[in-house]
Amino acid sequence: MSATISLKIEFGGGLELLFSNQRSHHVTVPAFVPASSGTAKATALPAGDEDGAPKRPVDLAYLIFWLRDNLLKEREELFIENGTVRPGILVLVNDADWELEGEGEYQLKDGDEIVFISTLHGG
Amino acid sequence: MSCGNPVADANALMQRRKKYDKTNSCVKCKVTQGNLVIRHAVYCKDCFLHLVVHKFRRALEPTVNPKPDGPRRTALKPAGNLLVGFSGGLGSSVLLDLVHRCYVALDKSTMPSDGGRDHPRHERVWKKVTICYVEVCDAFPGMRDRTEEITQHVKRYDDLEFVPLRIQDAFDRSWWEKIGGKSFPSEIGASLADEALFLQSLPSTSADPLTSLRAYLSSLPTPTAVTASIQTLTRLLLLHTALQTGSSHLVLGTSLTSLAVSLISGVAQGAGFNIREETQEEWTPEPETLMGLDHAPDASEGSKTGKKGKRTVRVVRPLRDVGMKECAAWAWWSGVPVVGKEKWVWAGAKPGIATLTKDFIVGLEKDYPSTVSTIVRTCSKLAPKGEVSGKCILCGRPAQRGVQEWKARISIRDRPPAPGSTEDATAKTADAEPLQPSLTPYLCYSCHTTLTSKSARPLPSPWPASAQAPLVSLPVWTEARLSSAIRDVDGAEHVHAEIMQTRQVGQDEMKGIVDEFLLDDQE
Repeated sequence: MSATISLKIEFGGGLELLFSNQRSHHVTVPAFVPASSGTAKATALPAGDEDGAPKRPVDLAYLIFWLRDNLLKEREELFIENGTVRPGILVLVNDADWELEGEGEYQLKDGDEIVFISTLHGG
Repeated sequence: MSCGNPVADANALMQRRKKYDKTNSCVKCKVTQGNLVIRHAVYCKDCFLHLVVHKFRRALEPTVNPKPDGPRRTALKPAGNLLVGFSGGLGSSVLLDLVHRCYVALDKSTMPSDGGRDHPRHERVWKKVTICYVEVCDAFPGMRDRTEEITQHVKRYDDLEFVPLRIQDAFDRSWWEKIGGKSFPSEIGASLADEALFLQSLPSTSADPLTSLRAYLSSLPTPTAVTASIQTLTRLLLLHTALQTGSSHLVLGTSLTSLAVSLISGVAQGAGFNIREETQEEWTPEPETLMGLDHAPDASEGSKTGKKGKRTVRVVRPLRDVGMKECAAWAWWSGVPVVGKEKWVWAGAKPGIATLTKDFIVGLEKDYPSTVSTIVRTCSKLAPKGEVSGKCILCGRPAQRGVQEWKARISIRDRPPAPGSTEDATAKTADAEPLQPSLTPYLCYSCHTTLTSKSARPLPSPWPASAQAPLVSLPVWTEARLSSAIRDVDGAEHVHAEIMQTRQVGQDEMKGIVDEFLLDDQE
């Protein structure tokens, strides 16, 4: 099993301005990420993993922080607020509303296409 | 489920509440898996796209005919052309796309599946469709001019005319005369620094429109007032453009979310009397402000004037049942690019009521989506009490009778000077300014509040260099009405003839006037 997951990320509605003015991005994220305390069950660690910390499969919540830390160029408060996307941002996972997939808890799969659309257009 | 320690016991945490009801299959076709959640209901992509078109038509079509349909649905025959107010924002972009698909390109996928009277084989509903865009960048320092981008964007839609305006046209006499406004010989300026809003003639060599606009905005007391004024100016520019293009209908891209914002922020600024106008209104220009309406350039094109020379523009918001999220999904799935708008900010400005309301409502929509539609539904049940007394000279909406009397009763005013110096004070006030005309009696409650409601602290204006001009020009439609009012004072009796004048009354004089009404409670 691969240690990373490839994703296609798209930004719309003006959000692309925060991400180097580029609408389409291809990113690679780790398949397993540190579990934050208390909110997720620890999974069985793959053999050979020296790090004893509990891990969870990478999810949308993690991706949002990952994007902020690795792709976001400016004005972080226009993308992320209170640990999730700012109100007014629509998130589609493979063309479906993320609310249908459990929002931040949706576990990412290789080849997923995630779209972030701002409805506020700066206004 | 126990309320135990989540780390030790995985079942201790309460299940997160689902954001949709029942299953994740589409509630309409029940077959396909859902793509979108709207207010707890799940829709698949196809059903959702049809639903948006259906809601758009359902909100617009009953307003097309001059009189509402009787028991039988009649064909759509509007009294004039259609003007689409376009701001570059999400709602406008979706609106323009829908108008074009349904009424110009006649996209079959948007037609009702049966034949019927609205079938494209019949002639088009709207003879002429015009898009009007008002560029506001000159009102804010450093704001980008988007006119060119918007011009390119609207080229996607063939068969539509495009009229770009600038916000300073509201102070431009040549624009006013071009659209058929009655010219006024000289301008009347208002002193916005003084809450009495005194009027005075301006020298005939008045400033250019841009300078007038900036002086006007700089004289406003609060950031809320700046936002409200720009919105009012834009709306009146669109209404007059509708007249010029022979349009009987003006459609705006206000979504359900934006409507909730404007309803709440309107009430917060004192515009409750016009709460119904915020959703839909019929506007008629004041006859004395326009050259015989037959002179308006496109008046003859496809417009029928009901009574002699009387033209009405109906303002409709067809997306008022379509939330912001739905607009975004529609735009994304239908390939509609959105040019976007910028925030209206300037150095040192705190957010005004409109901005704060929008932040609140957008946050509310995320966590409790049904509340936003409840706000709109509840507001639609409201009807204000009170009589209408003419139309506000600034915003063109019905003004409530008795505004100033009410304000005087609820306000704490400056006290006249102490009894010891009364005599001097009386003499001074008597000799002071001769009775001066004021803008106040012509204004509705919210426009008066917008112009006079000051903050305790002085606030930075967008154009500090223009700040505190003693007298500022008013928008051209206001000037036209004022100048007509003054003209008529000398002439025959006219309902607008009276220009009320106010002056401050000294304590002794006031006592003299009310003396006979005072109860004798002292020996």
